[in-house]
Amino acid sequence: MQPFGCVSTLAQTVERAILLDAEPERVWEAVTDPELLSEWLADEVELELVEGGEVVCRYADGEERRGEVALVEEAERLAFEWRRQGAEPSLVEIDVDAVAGGTVLTVRETGGFGPLLAAGAGSLWGTRLGSLRLVLGRVVLA
Amino acid sequence: MSSSPEPRPVGAVFDALADPTRRHLIEALSSGPGTATGLAAPLPISRQAVAKHLELLARAGLVERRRHGRETVFELRPEPLTEASAWMDAVGAEWSGRLQRLRNTLGA
Repeated sequence: MQPFGCVSTLAQTVERAILLDAEPERVWEAVTDPELLSEWLADEVELELVEGGEVVCRYADGEERRGEVALVEEAERLAFEWRRQGAEPSLVEIDVDAVAGGTVLTVRETGGFGPLLAAGAGSLWGTRLGSLRLVLGRVVLA
Repeated sequence: MSSSPEPRPVGAVFDALADPTRRHLIEALSSGPGTATGLAAPLPISRQAVAKHLELLARAGLVERRRHGRETVFELRPEPLTEASAWMDAVGAEWSGRLQRLRNTLGA
């Protein structure tokens, strides 16, 4: 049975964090400089560091993901949507936080929005989205 | 940059899970199929209200309904949930790998 509306998979968020022995400015550079991004995010990265800017990630196996930048908060947070060809888009949020002893980088990828993103839904920020994520996370773990 | 208003969440799945009664019904159905009557019994709301919630969950693709004699039996569809955990495992592993490579890149 097709669901009424457009979403056919649950949206859920995966989060990973890492403590890096590096200054936040260096970490921010590694997150926003396409040359550095090409060393860890994908094999080849193009990034226009501006809201609405294009994102392209290519992998050695030929896979390509394309998307656009959703948010740039200088030295603190980068967010972009991306999708594999023919797949549903997801939202990637990268936070850079200074801590004693270095920098914590947190990445969250939220997938399954389907047509919400495809329809050019503009800003996805807001408490509504945050609380929906919490709701969905609980159901998935139940 | 974009001036479009904040969108309403689209998709019946979002609406389905935004209600605490419906989340309770999903948890209850995770133990096995049930009827509106059976599911309503422990709740302080009417059978009709539960039936409406179940209809909404069915339209969202989260539960399946089938006739069993004169009653309708509702059952959780596992697909959205197993897809969800497979996705979480795969994407989680991807990011763990990337963050290790980031650490190597920074020598940090």
